[in-house]
Amino acid sequence: MTEEKAKGNADLPEKGTTVLMLGNPNVGKSALFNRMTGANAIVSNYPGTTVDFTSGTFIEGGHTYTIIDVPGTYSLEPRDAAEEVAVRMLRDSPDATVMIVLDATKTDRGLYVALEVMERGMPCIVAVNMMDAAHEKKITVDIAELQRILGVPVVSTTATSGEGVRDLAEMLRKAKVADIGAIAQRLRGEEQERESVRGCGGCGGC
Amino acid sequence: MVFSSDARWEMVDAITRQTVTYGTYKHTLGDVLGDLTVKPLTGIPVAFAALYAFWSVFTSFAGTLMTDGFMVKFFDGFWLPWMQSVWPDPASWHYFLFVGNPAADTCFEAFGMLTSGLFVSIGVVLPAVLVFYLMMTLLEDSGYLPRLAVLMDSVLHRIGLHGYAIVPIILGLGCNVPAVTATRILETKKQRFIMMTLLALFIPCGAQLGIMMSVLPDLVGIVMLCLIVGFCIFGFVLNKVIPGENPEILVDVPRYHWPVKEYVAKKLWNRTKGFLKEAVPFVLFGILVVNLLYLGGVIQGLANLLEPVFVTWFGVPKETVGPLIAAFLRKDLAIAQLSTIPMTTYQMVASVVLVTIYFPCVATFVVMLREGWKELIAAIVVLFVVVFIYGGIIHGIGILLGVA
Repeated sequence: MTEEKAKGNADLPEKGTTVLMLGNPNVGKSALFNRMTGANAIVSNYPGTTVDFTSGTFIEGGHTYTIIDVPGTYSLEPRDAAEEVAVRMLRDSPDATVMIVLDATKTDRGLYVALEVMERGMPCIVAVNMMDAAHEKKITVDIAELQRILGVPVVSTTATSGEGVRDLAEMLRKAKVADIGAIAQRLRGEEQERESVRGCGGCGGC
Repeated sequence: MVFSSDARWEMVDAITRQTVTYGTYKHTLGDVLGDLTVKPLTGIPVAFAALYAFWSVFTSFAGTLMTDGFMVKFFDGFWLPWMQSVWPDPASWHYFLFVGNPAADTCFEAFGMLTSGLFVSIGVVLPAVLVFYLMMTLLEDSGYLPRLAVLMDSVLHRIGLHGYAIVPIILGLGCNVPAVTATRILETKKQRFIMMTLLALFIPCGAQLGIMMSVLPDLVGIVMLCLIVGFCIFGFVLNKVIPGENPEILVDVPRYHWPVKEYVAKKLWNRTKGFLKEAVPFVLFGILVVNLLYLGGVIQGLANLLEPVFVTWFGVPKETVGPLIAAFLRKDLAIAQLSTIPMTTYQMVASVVLVTIYFPCVATFVVMLREGWKELIAAIVVLFVVVFIYGGIIHGIGILLGVA
């Protein structure tokens, strides 16, 4: 057991921004978390490695972030006690920013819980992790298009090598609440982006 | 705005249609291996081979090379005689506590905090857990565990669990503490209860395995057999008795990948650090407590009190009461202590099995409490019943075989 591991319902730090890492099991949340905070969350190659939360901090652009690595979950209707921890953390941190972590080789699976989080109106940022594995499997994810559709920052990362982690850290401050209605419209091809486009392509990053 | 689950999946489909493209993909060696290790026909032999490899590395490196080749020579040949010569007043209570028996030739017999305590924790158990943690880390990081889970699914279904229970089981072979927390990946209360109870009862931890290999190398096999048989029998019974569901296994089998060197190193370091910081002081503390209880006459009293149960029901000498008390603090310590009591082979096997199953060590007890006190109490009740019944069965078998 590492010391970073805050147990049970320990108080969450009040200073700075709290960032909850959320996503399916075994998509590399703990690996990303370790990369960003230098902490020692246990990383393995099987779903369900993280069954409790771990928190750590990092400073980016003069701003302190407290990142919390929570157990992976397939949806916000918990299936087991580990998923319950994740859902409880989300419920107990209404002011948190949510970093949704997707596995680039299984984007669809992770997007389900991503949409559930977005429906809750919490500020989000998306990390499409495991880009190296996707590359090997000849799967490409159009990050810019995903960002345009979702209207929140999307960053591609490979936690094992550290690629994109810097970007992810910088983009955290641009996390924003997704407009789920607008996403549905964009998907139907009804572009109603007059406000956000402003001649920049509407990447959602600003 | 909140959508229905169907609407959400439709959106997910639409998003992936617009953003994800799949190229043509050639099967790699990893995929071939992945298939071979999941299909029963090839997977089961592979599982046995993996287990065997695991075991032989464990015994040869930790047992033969480190402990027998180096640590025993150092502790028995140098450390113990030195402590015995420099510590003042062999008849005093502090000599008894810290150095132990002034006439002892080995660190096992001495049973002082600074002799046996350091020898057991650093000399025997540390090399064992080090190898064990390394092997376990490789199992965890390569992606083999979920495949083992799929392979073991039908067996584990018979005892009210499903394949994914293999994760807490394997973790438990390292240490029961993370294993108890890992039961959270099981879906129902029934599964979690069965798993926790079986962990506390029948899964020996890495420290215990290490010391068994060192002091009772010839008996490890039969002890493990008793534990595995008990695991299956009582799992089967618990499954029948406890109400609740045991859903099908739902697991995402990840791709194999080479364990990332720095993760392996980090994990190994953290686990070893945890062992040095938590286990070593506990072993020393355990010896202190047991020695104080001996000095106070408590153990002798308890031994006399429990003699009927121990001798007639379990068929083991009453002196095993002392190790049973030590086992509450550290199981490895208890086994070390047992090994110094003169006993027949049957008595040794039976008492080692009893020490393993009779009660979880205090650290495991604490995490079980954290997972729910009602379950803990229920687990302890089950535990006492099982110890009594299974201890009796083993004695009965011993009598039938003419060894007890």
